[in-house]
Amino acid sequence: MPALTGPPPEFVGHQQALKVKNDINLRKDTIRLVPDAADPDRRLVSFTFDAVTDGSLVIHYFAKEGKDCNFSSVYPDLQTPTKIPFQKGLAQNYVQPSGSGIDLGFFSLDELSNPSEEVYPLVVYAEASPSPEEGGQTVNPTRAQITLAVIEKHNDDLQVKVVKQILWINGVRYELKEIYGIVNSTEADVPDADDDGMGKECVICLTEPRDTAVFPCRHLCMCSECAQALRLQSNKCPICRQPVEKLMEIKVRSAEP
Amino acid sequence: MANSNLPRRIIKETQRLLSEPAPGISASPSEENMRYFNVMILGPTQSPYEGGVFKLELFLPEEYPMAPPKVRFLTKIYHPNIDKLGRICLDILKDKWSPALQIRTVLLSIQALLSAPNPDDPLADNVAKHWKANETEAVETAKEWTRVYANDA
Repeated sequence: MPALTGPPPEFVGHQQALKVKNDINLRKDTIRLVPDAADPDRRLVSFTFDAVTDGSLVIHYFAKEGKDCNFSSVYPDLQTPTKIPFQKGLAQNYVQPSGSGIDLGFFSLDELSNPSEEVYPLVVYAEASPSPEEGGQTVNPTRAQITLAVIEKHNDDLQVKVVKQILWINGVRYELKEIYGIVNSTEADVPDADDDGMGKECVICLTEPRDTAVFPCRHLCMCSECAQALRLQSNKCPICRQPVEKLMEIKVRSAEP
Repeated sequence: MANSNLPRRIIKETQRLLSEPAPGISASPSEENMRYFNVMILGPTQSPYEGGVFKLELFLPEEYPMAPPKVRFLTKIYHPNIDKLGRICLDILKDKWSPALQIRTVLLSIQALLSAPNPDDPLADNVAKHWKANETEAVETAKEWTRVYANDA
Protein backbone atom coordinates (compact mmCIF):
# COMPACT_ATOMS: atom_id res chain seq x y z
CA MET A 1 0.00 0.00 0.00
CA PRO A 2 1.30 3.45 -0.86
CA ALA A 3 1.69 5.74 2.08
CA LEU A 4 -1.12 8.22 2.30
CA THR A 5 -0.09 11.81 2.28
CA GLY A 6 -2.04 15.00 2.47
CA PRO A 7 -5.05 15.86 4.59
CA PRO A 8 -7.11 13.14 6.25
CA PRO A 9 -9.82 11.81 3.97
CA GLU A 10 -13.06 13.66 3.91
CA PHE A 11 -16.10 11.58 4.51
CA VAL A 12 -17.83 10.71 1.29
CA GLY A 13 -20.90 8.58 1.43
CA HIS A 14 -20.70 5.29 -0.37
CA GLN A 15 -24.00 3.60 -0.76
CA GLN A 16 -25.54 0.66 -2.50
CA ALA A 17 -28.20 1.42 -5.05
CA LEU A 18 -31.76 0.65 -4.05
CA LYS A 19 -33.68 -1.22 -6.67
CA VAL A 20 -37.08 0.18 -7.60
CA LYS A 21 -39.19 -1.68 -10.08
CA ASN A 22 -40.63 0.44 -12.82
CA ASP A 23 -43.71 -1.19 -14.37
CA ILE A 24 -44.06 1.20 -17.26
CA ASN A 25 -41.44 3.01 -19.19
CA LEU A 26 -42.04 5.59 -21.83
CA ARG A 27 -39.00 5.52 -24.07
CA LYS A 28 -38.13 9.15 -23.92
CA ASP A 29 -36.31 9.31 -27.23
CA THR A 30 -39.39 8.07 -29.12
CA ILE A 31 -41.87 10.77 -28.19
CA ARG A 32 -42.93 13.00 -31.11
CA LEU A 33 -45.73 15.09 -32.49
CA VAL A 34 -47.31 13.87 -35.69
CA PRO A 35 -49.83 15.87 -37.74
CA ASP A 36 -53.39 14.57 -37.57
CA ALA A 37 -54.33 13.46 -41.11
CA ALA A 38 -57.91 14.62 -40.57
CA ASP A 39 -56.87 18.05 -39.29
CA PRO A 40 -53.20 18.88 -40.06
CA ASP A 41 -53.17 21.82 -37.65
CA ARG A 42 -53.63 19.49 -34.77
CA ARG A 43 -50.73 17.43 -33.59
CA LEU A 44 -51.01 13.96 -32.15
CA VAL A 45 -48.64 12.74 -29.50
CA SER A 46 -46.89 9.49 -30.37
CA PHE A 47 -44.38 7.37 -28.48
CA THR A 48 -43.18 3.87 -27.73
CA PHE A 49 -43.51 2.39 -24.27
CA ASP A 50 -42.95 -0.81 -22.36
CA ALA A 51 -45.38 -2.08 -19.76
CA VAL A 52 -45.06 -5.18 -17.64
CA THR A 53 -48.60 -4.77 -16.27
CA ASP A 54 -51.82 -3.34 -17.64
CA GLY A 55 -52.38 0.30 -16.99
CA SER A 56 -53.52 3.64 -18.32
CA LEU A 57 -52.17 6.81 -19.82
CA VAL A 58 -53.20 10.41 -19.45
CA ILE A 59 -51.83 13.20 -21.59
CA HIS A 60 -51.87 16.68 -20.09
CA TYR A 61 -51.02 19.95 -21.83
CA PHE A 62 -49.44 22.84 -19.96
CA ALA A 63 -49.61 20.98 -16.72
CA LYS A 64 -48.23 21.77 -13.34
CA GLU A 65 -47.24 19.31 -10.68
CA GLY A 66 -49.35 19.30 -7.56
CA LYS A 67 -49.27 17.31 -4.38
CA ASP A 68 -48.47 13.59 -4.67
CA CYS A 69 -47.41 13.87 -8.28
CA ASN A 70 -50.84 14.89 -9.49
CA PHE A 71 -50.79 16.99 -12.62
CA SER A 72 -53.33 19.48 -13.80
CA SER A 73 -53.43 21.88 -16.71
CA VAL A 74 -53.14 25.61 -16.21
CA TYR A 75 -55.58 25.90 -19.13
CA PRO A 76 -58.36 23.54 -18.07
CA ASP A 77 -60.53 24.53 -21.04
CA LEU A 78 -57.97 23.36 -23.53
CA GLN A 79 -58.71 19.69 -23.28
CA THR A 80 -60.27 17.32 -20.81
CA PRO A 81 -57.64 14.79 -19.83
CA THR A 82 -58.88 11.30 -20.59
CA LYS A 83 -57.60 8.02 -19.30
CA ILE A 84 -56.49 5.74 -22.06
CA PRO A 85 -56.20 2.12 -20.94
CA PHE A 86 -53.48 -0.16 -22.27
CA GLN A 87 -52.52 -3.78 -21.84
CA LYS A 88 -49.17 -5.06 -20.80
CA GLY A 89 -46.59 -5.55 -23.51
CA LEU A 90 -43.15 -4.39 -24.57
CA ALA A 91 -42.40 -1.90 -27.33
CA GLN A 92 -45.97 -0.76 -27.79
CA ASN A 93 -46.53 2.17 -30.07
CA TYR A 94 -49.06 4.72 -29.01
CA VAL A 95 -50.54 7.48 -31.16
CA GLN A 96 -53.31 9.71 -29.91
CA PRO A 97 -56.54 8.97 -31.76
CA SER A 98 -57.35 11.35 -34.60
CA GLY A 99 -59.19 14.42 -33.34
CA SER A 100 -57.91 14.23 -29.79
CA GLY A 101 -54.75 16.25 -30.31
CA ILE A 102 -54.52 19.99 -29.86
CA ASP A 103 -53.55 22.81 -32.15
CA LEU A 104 -50.32 24.13 -30.77
CA GLY A 105 -50.40 27.06 -33.18
CA PHE A 106 -52.10 29.17 -30.50
CA PHE A 107 -49.03 29.12 -28.33
CA SER A 108 -45.85 31.08 -28.72
CA LEU A 109 -42.66 29.15 -29.20
CA ASP A 110 -41.47 30.63 -25.99
CA GLU A 111 -44.36 29.19 -24.08
CA LEU A 112 -43.79 25.80 -25.69
CA SER A 113 -40.08 25.59 -25.11
CA ASN A 114 -39.59 27.42 -21.81
CA PRO A 115 -41.58 25.98 -18.97
CA SER A 116 -42.21 28.92 -16.67
CA GLU A 117 -43.15 28.33 -13.07
CA GLU A 118 -42.84 24.60 -13.64
CA VAL A 119 -45.56 24.44 -16.25
CA TYR A 120 -44.69 21.71 -18.72
CA PRO A 121 -46.26 21.94 -22.19
CA LEU A 122 -46.58 18.17 -22.45
CA VAL A 123 -46.95 15.67 -19.65
CA VAL A 124 -47.60 11.96 -20.06
CA TYR A 125 -48.79 10.25 -16.91
CA ALA A 126 -48.51 6.48 -17.25
CA GLU A 127 -49.93 4.48 -14.40
CA ALA A 128 -49.84 0.76 -13.72
CA SER A 129 -53.12 -0.84 -12.77
CA PRO A 130 -52.55 -4.57 -12.67
CA SER A 131 -55.57 -6.73 -13.48
CA PRO A 132 -57.07 -8.74 -10.57
CA GLU A 133 -55.24 -11.95 -11.44
CA GLU A 134 -51.98 -10.04 -11.18
CA GLY A 135 -52.85 -9.03 -7.65
CA GLY A 136 -54.77 -5.92 -8.61
CA GLN A 137 -57.41 -6.22 -5.93
CA THR A 138 -54.98 -6.08 -3.05
CA VAL A 139 -54.24 -2.67 -1.65
CA ASN A 140 -52.38 -1.24 -4.55
CA PRO A 141 -50.66 2.08 -4.17
CA THR A 142 -49.99 4.09 -7.25
CA ARG A 143 -47.09 3.13 -9.43
CA ALA A 144 -46.63 5.67 -12.17
CA GLN A 145 -44.05 7.11 -14.49
CA ILE A 146 -44.49 10.69 -15.49
CA THR A 147 -42.72 12.19 -18.47
CA LEU A 148 -42.40 15.96 -18.65
CA ALA A 149 -41.53 17.55 -21.95
CA VAL A 150 -41.14 20.82 -23.75
CA ILE A 151 -41.76 21.47 -27.43
CA GLU A 152 -39.14 23.05 -29.61
CA LYS A 153 -39.12 24.15 -33.21
CA HIS A 154 -36.38 22.70 -35.38
CA ASN A 155 -36.38 23.26 -39.14
CA ASP A 156 -40.03 24.31 -39.09
CA ASP A 157 -40.98 21.15 -37.31
CA LEU A 158 -42.18 20.83 -33.75
CA GLN A 159 -40.12 18.41 -31.73
CA VAL A 160 -40.65 17.08 -28.25
CA LYS A 161 -37.80 17.21 -25.81
CA VAL A 162 -38.14 15.29 -22.57
CA VAL A 163 -36.76 17.32 -19.69
CA LYS A 164 -37.64 15.13 -16.74
CA GLN A 165 -39.06 11.77 -15.86
CA ILE A 166 -40.52 11.06 -12.46
CA LEU A 167 -41.37 7.78 -10.82
CA TRP A 168 -44.16 7.91 -8.28
CA ILE A 169 -44.02 4.61 -6.47
CA ASN A 170 -45.68 3.70 -3.20
CA GLY A 171 -45.84 7.31 -2.20
CA VAL A 172 -42.21 8.07 -2.96
CA ARG A 173 -41.22 10.44 -5.73
CA TYR A 174 -38.06 9.60 -7.66
CA GLU A 175 -36.55 11.63 -10.43
CA LEU A 176 -35.06 9.54 -13.18
CA LYS A 177 -31.60 10.56 -14.22
CA GLU A 178 -29.34 8.97 -16.69
CA ILE A 179 -26.09 7.47 -15.51
CA TYR A 180 -23.27 8.11 -17.96
CA GLY A 181 -21.47 4.95 -18.91
CA ILE A 182 -24.07 2.41 -17.83
CA VAL A 183 -25.18 1.21 -21.26
CA ASN A 184 -22.64 -1.46 -21.98
CA SER A 185 -21.59 -2.31 -18.48
CA THR A 186 -23.26 -5.69 -18.70
CA GLU A 187 -20.66 -6.72 -21.24
CA ALA A 188 -17.81 -6.04 -18.87
CA ASP A 189 -17.36 -9.70 -18.03
CA VAL A 190 -16.26 -10.57 -21.54
CA PRO A 191 -12.77 -11.83 -20.76
CA ASP A 192 -10.20 -9.32 -21.84
CA ALA A 193 -12.48 -7.65 -24.35
CA ASP A 194 -9.76 -5.77 -26.11
CA ASP A 195 -10.81 -2.24 -26.62
CA ASP A 196 -9.05 1.07 -26.70
CA GLY A 197 -9.43 1.84 -23.04
CA MET A 198 -12.73 3.58 -23.59
CA GLY A 199 -14.49 0.37 -22.73
CA LYS A 200 -16.49 -0.91 -19.84
CA GLU A 201 -13.72 -1.46 -17.35
CA CYS A 202 -13.00 0.77 -14.42
CA VAL A 203 -10.98 3.78 -15.64
CA ILE A 204 -8.55 3.33 -12.78
CA CYS A 205 -7.58 -0.35 -12.71
CA LEU A 206 -8.61 -1.00 -16.35
CA THR A 207 -9.56 -4.45 -15.11
CA GLU A 208 -12.74 -4.73 -13.07
CA PRO A 209 -16.18 -3.86 -14.43
CA ARG A 210 -17.47 -0.39 -13.68
CA ASP A 211 -20.08 -0.54 -10.96
CA THR A 212 -19.75 2.68 -9.01
CA ALA A 213 -21.20 6.00 -10.07
CA VAL A 214 -20.07 9.40 -8.86
CA PHE A 215 -22.64 11.97 -7.79
CA PRO A 216 -23.70 14.64 -8.59
CA CYS A 217 -22.02 14.31 -12.00
CA ARG A 218 -23.38 10.77 -12.58
CA HIS A 219 -20.28 9.27 -14.17
CA LEU A 220 -20.29 5.51 -13.78
CA CYS A 221 -16.58 5.03 -14.26
CA MET A 222 -15.02 2.97 -11.48
CA CYS A 223 -15.15 -0.37 -9.75
CA SER A 224 -16.05 -0.20 -6.07
CA GLU A 225 -12.55 -1.03 -4.91
CA CYS A 226 -10.90 1.75 -6.92
CA ALA A 227 -13.67 4.12 -5.88
CA GLN A 228 -12.78 3.43 -2.26
CA ALA A 229 -9.11 4.00 -3.01
CA LEU A 230 -9.86 7.20 -4.92
CA ARG A 231 -11.84 8.75 -2.12
CA LEU A 232 -8.84 8.47 0.17
CA GLN A 233 -6.73 10.46 -2.24
CA SER A 234 -8.97 12.89 -4.04
CA ASN A 235 -12.46 14.31 -3.97
CA LYS A 236 -12.74 14.79 -7.72
CA CYS A 237 -14.48 12.70 -10.33
CA PRO A 238 -11.84 11.08 -12.58
CA ILE A 239 -13.87 11.93 -15.68
CA CYS A 240 -14.90 15.55 -15.13
CA ARG A 241 -13.02 16.64 -11.97
CA GLN A 242 -16.23 17.83 -10.30
CA PRO A 243 -16.20 17.36 -6.54
CA VAL A 244 -17.52 14.00 -5.41
CA GLU A 245 -20.44 14.21 -3.02
CA LYS A 246 -21.46 10.60 -3.06
CA LEU A 247 -20.48 7.29 -4.56
CA MET A 248 -23.11 4.76 -5.45
CA GLU A 249 -22.55 1.14 -6.22
CA ILE A 250 -24.89 -0.06 -8.93
CA LYS A 251 -24.96 -3.77 -9.58
CA VAL A 252 -26.22 -3.87 -13.10
CA ARG A 253 -26.07 -7.59 -13.53
CA SER A 254 -27.62 -8.79 -10.31
CA ALA A 255 -30.60 -10.96 -11.21
CA GLU A 256 -34.17 -10.26 -10.21
CA PRO A 257 -35.12 -12.11 -7.02
CA MET B 1 11.96 -6.77 -7.70
CA ALA B 2 10.60 -3.62 -9.19
CA ASN B 3 8.63 -5.67 -11.69
CA SER B 4 6.91 -7.96 -9.26
CA ASN B 5 3.41 -6.96 -8.27
CA LEU B 6 3.09 -4.66 -11.23
CA PRO B 7 -0.56 -3.54 -11.21
CA ARG B 8 -2.78 -4.96 -13.93
CA ARG B 9 -3.42 -1.45 -15.14
CA ILE B 10 0.25 -0.82 -15.93
CA ILE B 11 0.52 -4.15 -17.74
CA LYS B 12 -2.59 -3.36 -19.80
CA GLU B 13 -1.45 0.13 -20.64
CA THR B 14 1.95 -1.16 -21.69
CA GLN B 15 0.43 -3.85 -23.90
CA ARG B 16 -1.83 -1.33 -25.60
CA LEU B 17 1.00 1.17 -26.08
CA LEU B 18 3.08 -1.47 -27.80
CA SER B 19 0.29 -3.01 -29.87
CA GLU B 20 -1.45 0.23 -30.92
CA PRO B 21 1.06 3.07 -30.66
CA ALA B 22 -0.27 6.60 -31.15
CA PRO B 23 0.97 8.25 -34.36
CA GLY B 24 4.33 9.93 -33.86
CA ILE B 25 4.77 8.51 -30.37
CA SER B 26 6.61 5.47 -29.12
CA ALA B 27 6.94 4.35 -25.54
CA SER B 28 8.58 1.17 -24.36
CA PRO B 29 9.26 0.04 -20.82
CA SER B 30 12.76 -0.57 -19.62
CA GLU B 31 13.58 -4.22 -19.00
CA GLU B 32 14.97 -3.59 -15.53
CA ASN B 33 12.06 -1.46 -14.39
CA MET B 34 8.66 -1.78 -15.99
CA ARG B 35 7.64 1.53 -14.45
CA TYR B 36 10.31 3.39 -16.41
CA PHE B 37 9.56 4.12 -20.08
CA ASN B 38 11.78 5.31 -22.88
CA VAL B 39 9.69 7.65 -24.97
CA MET B 40 10.15 9.20 -28.37
CA ILE B 41 7.92 11.91 -29.77
CA LEU B 42 8.23 13.14 -33.34
CA GLY B 43 8.03 16.90 -33.73
CA PRO B 44 4.54 17.68 -35.08
CA THR B 45 4.27 18.88 -38.67
CA GLN B 46 3.89 22.64 -39.08
CA SER B 47 5.54 23.24 -35.74
CA PRO B 48 9.09 24.51 -35.17
CA TYR B 49 9.91 20.98 -34.02
CA GLU B 50 8.97 19.29 -37.30
CA GLY B 51 11.55 16.77 -38.37
CA GLY B 52 12.91 16.36 -34.85
CA VAL B 53 12.96 13.21 -32.76
CA PHE B 54 12.56 14.04 -29.09
CA LYS B 55 13.51 11.61 -26.38
CA LEU B 56 11.76 11.68 -23.04
CA GLU B 57 11.71 9.59 -19.92
CA LEU B 58 8.49 8.67 -18.18
CA PHE B 59 8.25 7.13 -14.74
CA LEU B 60 5.17 5.76 -13.05
CA PRO B 61 5.44 6.40 -9.30
CA GLU B 62 4.19 3.89 -6.76
CA GLU B 63 0.96 5.90 -6.35
CA TYR B 64 0.17 5.81 -10.08
CA PRO B 65 -2.59 6.17 -11.29
CA MET B 66 -3.67 8.17 -8.25
CA ALA B 67 -0.61 10.36 -8.85
CA PRO B 68 0.56 11.51 -12.31
CA PRO B 69 3.49 10.00 -14.16
CA LYS B 70 6.77 11.89 -14.00
CA VAL B 71 7.82 12.96 -17.48
CA ARG B 72 10.90 14.84 -18.64
CA PHE B 73 12.48 15.73 -21.98
CA LEU B 74 15.94 14.24 -22.42
CA THR B 75 16.47 15.98 -25.75
CA LYS B 76 17.24 19.68 -25.49
CA ILE B 77 14.30 21.70 -26.78
CA TYR B 78 13.60 25.43 -27.16
CA HIS B 79 10.05 25.76 -25.90
CA PRO B 80 8.46 28.27 -23.47
CA ASN B 81 6.84 25.53 -21.40
CA ILE B 82 9.85 23.23 -21.15
CA ASP B 83 12.89 24.25 -19.12
CA LYS B 84 16.55 23.42 -19.63
CA LEU B 85 16.26 20.39 -17.38
CA GLY B 86 13.51 19.05 -19.62
CA ARG B 87 10.79 19.64 -17.07
CA ILE B 88 7.38 20.23 -18.62
CA CYS B 89 4.78 22.79 -17.57
CA LEU B 90 1.54 20.99 -18.26
CA ASP B 91 -1.48 21.13 -15.97
CA ILE B 92 -2.43 17.46 -16.33
CA LEU B 93 0.98 16.49 -14.98
CA LYS B 94 0.23 18.48 -11.85
CA ASP B 95 -3.04 19.65 -10.32
CA LYS B 96 -5.21 18.66 -13.30
CA TRP B 97 -4.11 15.04 -13.18
CA SER B 98 -6.94 12.53 -13.15
CA PRO B 99 -6.56 8.77 -12.75
CA ALA B 100 -8.72 8.40 -15.86
CA LEU B 101 -5.80 9.76 -17.88
CA GLN B 102 -3.19 7.32 -19.11
CA ILE B 103 0.37 7.23 -20.43
CA ARG B 104 -1.05 7.53 -23.94
CA THR B 105 -3.13 10.61 -23.17
CA VAL B 106 -0.23 12.25 -21.35
CA LEU B 107 2.09 11.76 -24.32
CA LEU B 108 -0.56 13.01 -26.74
CA SER B 109 -0.91 16.13 -24.59
CA ILE B 110 2.84 16.69 -24.69
CA GLN B 111 2.79 16.26 -28.46
CA ALA B 112 0.01 18.86 -28.61
CA LEU B 113 2.05 21.19 -26.42
CA LEU B 114 4.77 21.11 -29.08
CA SER B 115 2.22 22.27 -31.64
CA ALA B 116 0.90 24.99 -29.38
CA PRO B 117 3.56 26.65 -27.21
CA ASN B 118 1.98 28.79 -24.54
CA PRO B 119 4.32 31.66 -23.55
CA ASP B 120 1.67 33.05 -21.16
CA ASP B 121 2.22 30.14 -18.79
CA PRO B 122 5.97 29.87 -19.00
CA LEU B 123 8.38 27.52 -17.35
CA ALA B 124 11.44 28.73 -19.20
CA ASP B 125 11.20 32.48 -18.54
CA ASN B 126 13.81 33.65 -21.01
CA VAL B 127 12.36 31.50 -23.80
CA ALA B 128 8.87 32.78 -23.06
CA LYS B 129 10.10 36.39 -23.09
CA HIS B 130 11.81 35.76 -26.39
CA TRP B 131 8.62 34.17 -27.73
CA LYS B 132 6.50 37.16 -26.76
CA ALA B 133 9.00 39.80 -27.87
CA ASN B 134 9.84 38.31 -31.22
CA GLU B 135 7.96 35.16 -32.10
CA THR B 136 9.48 34.78 -35.58
CA GLU B 137 12.97 34.84 -34.15
CA ALA B 138 12.08 32.48 -31.29
CA VAL B 139 10.57 30.02 -33.75
CA GLU B 140 13.80 30.20 -35.76
CA THR B 141 15.79 29.37 -32.64
CA ALA B 142 13.45 26.45 -31.90
CA LYS B 143 13.95 25.16 -35.44
CA GLU B 144 17.70 25.53 -35.11
CA TRP B 145 17.74 23.63 -31.80
CA THR B 146 15.59 20.93 -33.41
CA ARG B 147 18.14 20.52 -36.23
CA VAL B 148 21.06 20.46 -33.81
CA TYR B 149 19.77 18.43 -30.88
CA ALA B 150 16.78 16.41 -32.08
CA ASN B 151 18.28 14.82 -35.13
CA ASP B 152 19.23 11.31 -34.10
CA ALA B 153 16.80 8.74 -35.36
